[in-house]
Amino acid sequence: MHSRPRPTTWLYLSPLHLLLLAILTLPSLYVFWLSLNESSYGTGLAWVGLENYRTVFADGYFWRAAINTFFVVNGVVYVELIIGLALATLFVSGVPLRSVMFACILMPYAISEVVAVLVWKMMMDPSVGAIARTIESMGLGMVNWSASPTVGLTLVGVINIWTHLPFTFLMIYAGLLAIDPALYEAAHIDGATRWQRFTRITLPLLVPTLLITLIFRLIFAFRMFTEVWLLTKGGPARMSEVLAVYLYQHGFRYGDFGIASATGWLMVLGSLLLASIFLIAMQRSMRGA
Amino acid sequence: MQNSFSPIERVVRSVFLALMLLWSVGPILFIVSSSFKRQVDIFVYPPKFVFAPTIDNYIKLLDQWQGFFKAMGNSLIVALGATVLAGIVSFLGGYAYSRYRSRLTSWTAVYMIAVRVLPPIVVTLPLFPVVNRLGLGDTHILLILLYATFWVSLNTMIMKNFFDQIPYELDEAAYVDGATEWQLVSRILARLTFQGMAAGSIFVFVYAWNEYLFAMIFTTNHAKTAPLILSELMGAVDGTEWGVLFAGVTLQLIPVVLLVTLARRYLIAGLSAGAVKG
Repeated sequence: MHSRPRPTTWLYLSPLHLLLLAILTLPSLYVFWLSLNESSYGTGLAWVGLENYRTVFADGYFWRAAINTFFVVNGVVYVELIIGLALATLFVSGVPLRSVMFACILMPYAISEVVAVLVWKMMMDPSVGAIARTIESMGLGMVNWSASPTVGLTLVGVINIWTHLPFTFLMIYAGLLAIDPALYEAAHIDGATRWQRFTRITLPLLVPTLLITLIFRLIFAFRMFTEVWLLTKGGPARMSEVLAVYLYQHGFRYGDFGIASATGWLMVLGSLLLASIFLIAMQRSMRGA
Repeated sequence: MQNSFSPIERVVRSVFLALMLLWSVGPILFIVSSSFKRQVDIFVYPPKFVFAPTIDNYIKLLDQWQGFFKAMGNSLIVALGATVLAGIVSFLGGYAYSRYRSRLTSWTAVYMIAVRVLPPIVVTLPLFPVVNRLGLGDTHILLILLYATFWVSLNTMIMKNFFDQIPYELDEAAYVDGATEWQLVSRILARLTFQGMAAGSIFVFVYAWNEYLFAMIFTTNHAKTAPLILSELMGAVDGTEWGVLFAGVTLQLIPVVLLVTLARRYLIAGLSAGAVKG
């Protein structure tokens, strides 16, 4: 049962919307205004129209950052989804010492990105890192993530997966728990194999969960900053930048607010595009019912 | 469900589980164990699993890195502040969205989720000058506002779903007994939505305790948080100080690791209410 909103209803909603307005909405609208102007520290705004966007699109470093972001985000998210699905399926079908195992799998969720970078940096250090030296002693070559942007970004991806796998796992696990066990029993009686039960019952019913998890993770991975900044600072020679790092460099290092804002607004559009699928579905369910 | 696995399946499952445990816990054990090792033992290859533990690193941390403990205090203030603020705000919002519905409320709900997807770095650009003019730069209150804001959308959805599970008849009964709306919300419904509050609180606390980007941009001295100090030490320490850094990292991660592992029930409840259903 839902009532029509009363005047007091808006009072209950006002703290929420005041926060969002002051910290997210007005600043991001102002970023749009900034992106149409040229400005730096201590200078006024000078209207340039779409010039900043033109500059950004003509900048090789921007495209480098965009391509890096694309590959890291996609790599991370799909690997996470597959491992998360396998792990959640394993947990649902029963593991020994379930609650202890569960707690262990969740642990990286509690770890700061700063600490995650620190520990992986240590373990992958080409001269003293335990993992790097193991890889080397297996004859797979030296892991030099500070010299090669590809290796650096791969390590960024590994760190990102490490910190976010618990989230993906939890989401899928919660989705699996919501599937009616009676369906599996019925399928079992009908003689379906375990694989058939997984592909014909679990997967189709899990599609909404997987989709939401995917969108969540795409949006969050898209804003990735800390791992790259602390691991490679975007180097060598700005080759491993992602979009957030590109924005930071221009906004806070070079003091070029126009370029930074144009990048920021492009990131806003990208995020909204990713989220639109989710938002459309949500709007329907909020209005319907 | 049937759990009759063939021997091969059992082996595959065990190996996969063992690998995932090593992957999840290994790096954390590496940090914690290194913090109890002598300097010379930390980077020995192959790593030593048996060693004589020492608390020298912790003593040195206490002696020489006073700044770290101040930063831990700042992290605690900021994380608790953001948790309380986001808790109150999303409790009120969740109630309103659960009990009232119109075209306008549904659009504001969509807007609420839509702005949540904005990358945090985007708002730092315009906020930076404003914050300094308002005298909010390098303050706890600024970080509290920022951290709370980035969670109120999702937590409001979580709270809405918990409110939805409370039958509307309960509200009616309270009104019949002469309760005001505020009495109903603050006395009765608050107790019944505790699980949702707990779930939301964990999300905010963990995020605020660990956050780096905002802390780096908006604090310079007074309000510096622990992750920021650790990142600076990480860049600054020379070969002889690694053990001390690991001791600091261990102290920073223990409270949240305990929180997350002990309260995992609420995490599942919160995630399924906020995302899977919402």
